[in-house]
Amino acid sequence: MNRTILTALLLLAPAALVGADTQWVLDKSTLTYHVDHPLHTTEGVSHAARGKGVCHTGECDFLIAAPVKSFDSRDSNRDLHMIQVVRGGQYPMITVRTHVPEADSTAATFKADIEIQFAGQTVQFKQVEFKREAQGNAIKITGTIPATASGFKIDPPKFLTVPIKNDIPIRVEMTWQPQ
Amino acid sequence: MSKNVLSLVLCCAAAMAQAPAAQITGVVKDAAGAAIAGAEVKATQTATGAVHTVVSGTAGEYTLADLPPGAYSLEVSKEGFGKFALNEVLVRQNAPSTVNVSLQTPAGAGAPPSLKDLGFTPTDTQGTAQDQARLDRRSHMLQIHQRLGLITLAPLIATLITGSGAKGNRNSTASSSASGRELHAALGGTTAGLYLTTAAFAIFAPKVPNTKTRGPILVHKALAFIHGPGMILTPILGAMAYNQRAAGEKVHGIASAHGAVAAITGIAYGAAMLSVIIKF
Repeated sequence: MNRTILTALLLLAPAALVGADTQWVLDKSTLTYHVDHPLHTTEGVSHAARGKGVCHTGECDFLIAAPVKSFDSRDSNRDLHMIQVVRGGQYPMITVRTHVPEADSTAATFKADIEIQFAGQTVQFKQVEFKREAQGNAIKITGTIPATASGFKIDPPKFLTVPIKNDIPIRVEMTWQPQ
Repeated sequence: MSKNVLSLVLCCAAAMAQAPAAQITGVVKDAAGAAIAGAEVKATQTATGAVHTVVSGTAGEYTLADLPPGAYSLEVSKEGFGKFALNEVLVRQNAPSTVNVSLQTPAGAGAPPSLKDLGFTPTDTQGTAQDQARLDRRSHMLQIHQRLGLITLAPLIATLITGSGAKGNRNSTASSSASGRELHAALGGTTAGLYLTTAAFAIFAPKVPNTKTRGPILVHKALAFIHGPGMILTPILGAMAYNQRAAGEKVHGIASAHGAVAAITGIAYGAAMLSVIIKF
């Protein structure tokens, strides 16, 4: 899987969702997983995430999802192995959900609890820090999710009998537009 | 498709080691946290389509017991509430899954988004156990290919080293040259057998449709067009050279290319291994 495991879940609470009944759509995104092995350091990138946010009566729900097969490490053999290791044949999507008070996340940095469904597992990440930057009407959010192979019950893949490291941080860059 | 799921918890707890069989349990509540009795909870096994149904109790609790292990889709519904659906519940023996469900009253603009809202097709969102099984077979066979490829290196190198002994020189006796040839031939045969087995695992590993080959694996596959034919030609030329020497002749004609073909084959084989080991 990548000898890689990929997971990308990003879920970001868009900042500045002030106002009732506002909706947000994910305009563009870059999700990057990072895998360490003694012989190789690998990164896989996806630009195929889609997302939507709904803010109602002061609370916002966000959903972001991406196909597992959309992650590209520039090696098709490694990508296919990644999909196999993360059970992507059976669970082809990565989804991220978060619930955020609308008044939150107007600061340049904020923290959010996110729930990620991936490889047939659901994992909670508490207080993940993100940076927010306004770009006209749009909001750009960046951050890193501290995912691990063990967290998603993924057997670390091996190359030449040596396994990858357990930490698989996922860098997130997302641009949200009001709908 | 579920509209109003606020939260769900899926856990396979080691603490539940007492549970004898696969099962899904949980509690059905409304948005305010009050239990919902009488909600229909339906689990459909992905592989077989078998459906298991229970109704939530007075405290909103439900248990789908004695399930065959595997992947299930889960649906929870009650009149007056939006339906909840989850496509990805993996149920294992002795590791019960817990899915707590929150049903919302049907709502409009305030409803949390769902996968359907994002515009993904069923092809994107629904996998099958058969697809996963094909990927598992592919990975397993390529793993064996990788290990056999490494093992094959040993007799391959030994064959190349004993090549000079097989040729003999002005200082060697007839008998030592003959035994050198025997050893070289035996090692060559072993190498060829291991090589063919290694190749078979790669050739017959399941292919994944709509996958474009790219990256270092492209170089690895391309080099097979050199070492593959080389590994067939080398023993043929070697047999010809062996017979000529056994007849007391000097190696001549096309048989004299045996050494060069073997060297090129060995180099291509080594390059093929390096192409997937070293990151370029």
